[in-house]
Amino acid sequence: MAIINYAQKVINFKVVYYGPGVAGKTANLQHIHKSLPDVSKGNMISLAAGDDRTLFFDFLPVSATTVRGFTAKFQLYTVPGQVYYNMTRKLVLRGVDGLVFVADSQWDRLRDNVESFRNLEENLREYNYNLDDMPYVMQYNKRDLPNVAPLEYMEFMLNRRARQVPYFEAVAVSGDGVFDTLNTVSRMVLVGEFGQEKGEHRESA
Amino acid sequence: MVIHESDAEKINTVLTTFLGESGASEALLIDRSGQLLSMTGANRALDTVSISALAAGAFSSTGALAQLLGETEFTVLFHQGNKESMHVSTVDDQAILLAIFGERTTVGMVRLFAKEASAAVGQILAEARNKPKTKGELSTPLTADESRTSFGEKTR
Repeated sequence: MAIINYAQKVINFKVVYYGPGVAGKTANLQHIHKSLPDVSKGNMISLAAGDDRTLFFDFLPVSATTVRGFTAKFQLYTVPGQVYYNMTRKLVLRGVDGLVFVADSQWDRLRDNVESFRNLEENLREYNYNLDDMPYVMQYNKRDLPNVAPLEYMEFMLNRRARQVPYFEAVAVSGDGVFDTLNTVSRMVLVGEFGQEKGEHRESA
Repeated sequence: MVIHESDAEKINTVLTTFLGESGASEALLIDRSGQLLSMTGANRALDTVSISALAAGAFSSTGALAQLLGETEFTVLFHQGNKESMHVSTVDDQAILLAIFGERTTVGMVRLFAKEASAAVGQILAEARNKPKTKGELSTPLTADESRTSFGEKTR
């Protein structure tokens, strides 16, 4: 839920990186944290288990732009991908304004991607949110690995709702596609909240 | 949600009174999604953004624990430190109140006055949510340039 604070001249949004375990959600945030200048980022918090898997969430606040005198701040969260952490995953979705679905492009992870996407739809429903109204993008990660499914196949498996959303190829550990993903979802979140002038295209990369 | 300057002033007044009565050093009003709505208190460098995200996470996780026991929620969460402690309590179904306090007061005092403060703040928030969502200078659609963000562009 966007929070517009007139006293502080700040607009706060929450963007959640969702997807199956070890798909690269945390790697996205780590790259963003590493690359942004101090002035546009806060501390990154990782609540991880001993094996580096996210236990509850990662959190990174970033700010990018000023909209009519208001600083637009985006709070980036990841969820734990493992199936058995669904309760904590659901908690992180509370008040979400935009989503990045990070899919693992490897053939043997395709089923996990589809399951995770269904799980996302279910968890959103519990908050009465709906993907049809939610700004979100797809990120097909790990494109540098040898055993990846073709893009068309990833699209066919995951981006087949009535509204097709922008997608990005990525290699999150080296940063490829990470900022294209972030800039697009943040633009979609802004347009989703405030609208965009007619005649201008929406959801552009 | 829109917090106008008048709402922010009212909230600040309630939180300031709360700090005076309870002896707590800081009070943070936090949306349950993890975002800081308002903060009052000692002027020291606290990472309030991280505190808000973590406190909301801890409180929501405590709520899930409560449900596993058949409770609707645990309304208070208390962390005791050597010198500083933290008291988090329910304001309403969308917000929580976090108080940081040291050795000059007790958890009992904080709990007592947090209850009163929560009721007062809850009323202000309810009124704010019920107001028409006028956004002033943000009420007209954005241009393509205005909605453009440029994360990472200078560093690539």
